[in-house]
Amino acid sequence: MQIIVNGKAVEAADGITVAQLLVEQKVQTPEYVSVELNGEILDRQDFATTVVAAGDQIEFLYFMGGGAR
Amino acid sequence: MDIETLALHGGYAPDPHTGSTAAPIHQTTAYAYATAAQLADVFGGRAPGYIYSRIGNPTFSAFEKRLAELEGGIGCLSCASGMAAIACVAMGLTRAGDHVVTTKGIFGGTVSFFAKTLARFAVRTTFVDAGKVEAFRAAIDPATRLIFVETITNPGMEVPDLPAIADVAHNARIPLVVDNTVTTPILVRPGRWGADIVVHSVSKFINGHGNSIGGAIVDTGNFDWSSGPFADIQALARRAGKLAFLAHLRMLIYRDLGCCPSPFNTFLHLLGIEGLPLRMAAHCQNAQALAEYLANHPRVTWVNYPGLTSNPYHELAGRLFGGRFGAVLTFGVGSAEAAARFVDRTVLAQNLANIGDSKTLVIHPASTIFQEFTPAERQAMGVPDDLIRVAVGVESVKDIIADFESALEKM
Repeated sequence: MQIIVNGKAVEAADGITVAQLLVEQKVQTPEYVSVELNGEILDRQDFATTVVAAGDQIEFLYFMGGGAR
Repeated sequence: MDIETLALHGGYAPDPHTGSTAAPIHQTTAYAYATAAQLADVFGGRAPGYIYSRIGNPTFSAFEKRLAELEGGIGCLSCASGMAAIACVAMGLTRAGDHVVTTKGIFGGTVSFFAKTLARFAVRTTFVDAGKVEAFRAAIDPATRLIFVETITNPGMEVPDLPAIADVAHNARIPLVVDNTVTTPILVRPGRWGADIVVHSVSKFINGHGNSIGGAIVDTGNFDWSSGPFADIQALARRAGKLAFLAHLRMLIYRDLGCCPSPFNTFLHLLGIEGLPLRMAAHCQNAQALAEYLANHPRVTWVNYPGLTSNPYHELAGRLFGGRFGAVLTFGVGSAEAAARFVDRTVLAQNLANIGDSKTLVIHPASTIFQEFTPAERQAMGVPDDLIRVAVGVESVKDIIADFESALEKM
């Protein structure tokens, strides 16, 4: 299925969770990343259980911008 | 890994590009990106990266990771000084109309910050007896937003009961902030006893050589920022989870106050941490021997050191700090004049306003750090006029005792 990650079209497996997508997309320092799903902030505790659907828009955002790595 | 290993290896592995085993000093103000889009992504949070050293710097990151590991915490922010760390935490947790509970006998700069500076922004502070848990409970009102204690009050030398006070704080759904400067994570990880935030003056034992000012804030991970009375931090907790408070500081308070350290100072602090476990062992051993010597000296009126079995905090301190009692002690010689004469006559021990140097330091607090307060205020803060504070160094204890013996004879 196709989804939109940080504004770019990406192929992802059906049934993939947000937590799996963080790994698949090789997101650096995921502990410092927040996720917006279709414009809504996703609670961190829901990353592992939230399943992504075709056409979803996902933004990975570093909440400690400017050098918290 | 044990703390001795973390002190050497925590937070930094040899640089993958150069193999450098010491964390490099990134003496830079800003960070260049190849394209406008890349920098825009970092600003927008869409990519990780450094922007400006007021907000973050790779040398700070190495120090922050190492200290967080030593404290067993989830993250750390390095600051320009211990006072900067305290100011950041207090301003990050309070608004006009709020209230703080802290204790008597704490560092004069911290007293001034709460009683004078923070009071200018309509935040009230109540100073209670550090040894009375009930006094903390009684001082809390609906506007209280934090309890602040020092592991051993300096120069009051009282030991607050950390787990009992953590319970008081948590029953009020507010965090316990603990200043771990005098004990360091080598003696105690306050998070283990329920503390939520740990602050340090890194200038002291962590630096260890009296060569640079620094501070730090560690979140122990104990406080649930998604509930409690902090609406803005609570909102951030959805994004940042357990790191919400540190994110709140880095993205707002810390960023706006501009209280970052210098990369070179941070490098020296990193170096200081490496020898900290060895130094603390020697510091505590020497302090114990000096305290016992002073307690038996006829010209010494009183000695205050939790390592003495006669000290009212001996049992509690032994339990909290794993049988070691730190390297700060105070003693009295009967009058302010005699205290000044003693300080004038030490040769090895240096008369200066600091603690935690490898060298032995003495000071007469009433005429220096607490000069701005009246004798009655000083007495109420647990700083009598004949008090001499000693930060015992790691020289040969024989030489330290000889210096004190000579100064007491000539006093």
